[in-house]
Amino acid sequence: MLSIILLLQEIETSRFAQMKLAAANPDLSKFLVIGALLFIIGVAGVLTRRNIIVIFMSIELILNAANLNFIAFSRYLAGIGSPNALAGQIFTVFIIVVAAAEAAIGLGIVIALYRNKETIWVDEIDLLKW
Amino acid sequence: MTLSGYEALFFWIFGLAAIFAGLLTVMARNAVHSALFLISSLVSVAALFILARAEFIAGVQILVYVGGVMVLFLFVIMLVNVGAEERGSEEIFNNQRQVAASLIFCLLLVGGMLYAINTGYRGLQTLHPATPEAVAAQEAIRDQAHAPSATRSSRITKDTESVGGSLYRYASLPFEIASVLLLVAIIGSVMLARTLKQEVAVDDVDPGNAD
Repeated sequence: MLSIILLLQEIETSRFAQMKLAAANPDLSKFLVIGALLFIIGVAGVLTRRNIIVIFMSIELILNAANLNFIAFSRYLAGIGSPNALAGQIFTVFIIVVAAAEAAIGLGIVIALYRNKETIWVDEIDLLKW
Repeated sequence: MTLSGYEALFFWIFGLAAIFAGLLTVMARNAVHSALFLISSLVSVAALFILARAEFIAGVQILVYVGGVMVLFLFVIMLVNVGAEERGSEEIFNNQRQVAASLIFCLLLVGGMLYAINTGYRGLQTLHPATPEAVAAQEAIRDQAHAPSATRSSRITKDTESVGGSLYRYASLPFEIASVLLLVAIIGSVMLARTLKQEVAVDDVDPGNAD
């Protein structure tokens, strides 16, 4: 019985030591986890908020999480000596361009909508509902 | 890639800062506060880009997002009326059932993504079984090729040069398409944001009959 407890403790301490080692040396997977969490926060914002401007900000958060994943994989590929290591960074430039265009158009739509409907709450913008 | 020492410390600081600022972006009652938290989240992610040796992208992120897009957001927030939200008389979230359903969906999604990252990364490690030490040694050799900076504390990075080179060499057609996209966005946002009077003036109709 005692030996089993000792064994469990041994496993626990070794797992804890492993976790400490992994936290002291963050690698590709830690970047991906942070990107995933930012993405989820953005999705939650899009689904739950009523203010259309905050929904746009959540979309920016989602795009930024994708950028983080691209950069992390670019760094990983550079580490293993791949010739395509820079593709991630170039893709990120294009995502930033598209995000800027999307923000400009989206905010133009928000201004036009506010001028016609006097509201920024998405549940009150129901022109297509019947 | 494995960060260590101060890089690991800064990775955790900026990663947690990005996540907390993102959460506060979604939770903040005032839209201006949301925008400011989103700016801090974007800056933290730019710091993570620097840790991943993408200095050019980090600079672009700061210049375009924080300097351009967020300023646009703040202008629009100040153009539309958010007084009711600030006073607390309006509910900032959707109704209870929708929020509960979307939170359950998000929890399932985060579980699935973390599981996918876990198994996928393990598969990647068996595919490229390079030990962290070997990879670090390889990267150190590559860093030695760069000239040292004036203070001798670090090496001058060639990130901007290499990104620019491959941007124009391998991605020149998407680059041109992106410039056309930006032109369309400029024209579209000018068209959308016109007032009724400006629209009528452009359409060459007597403004008296417009409204």
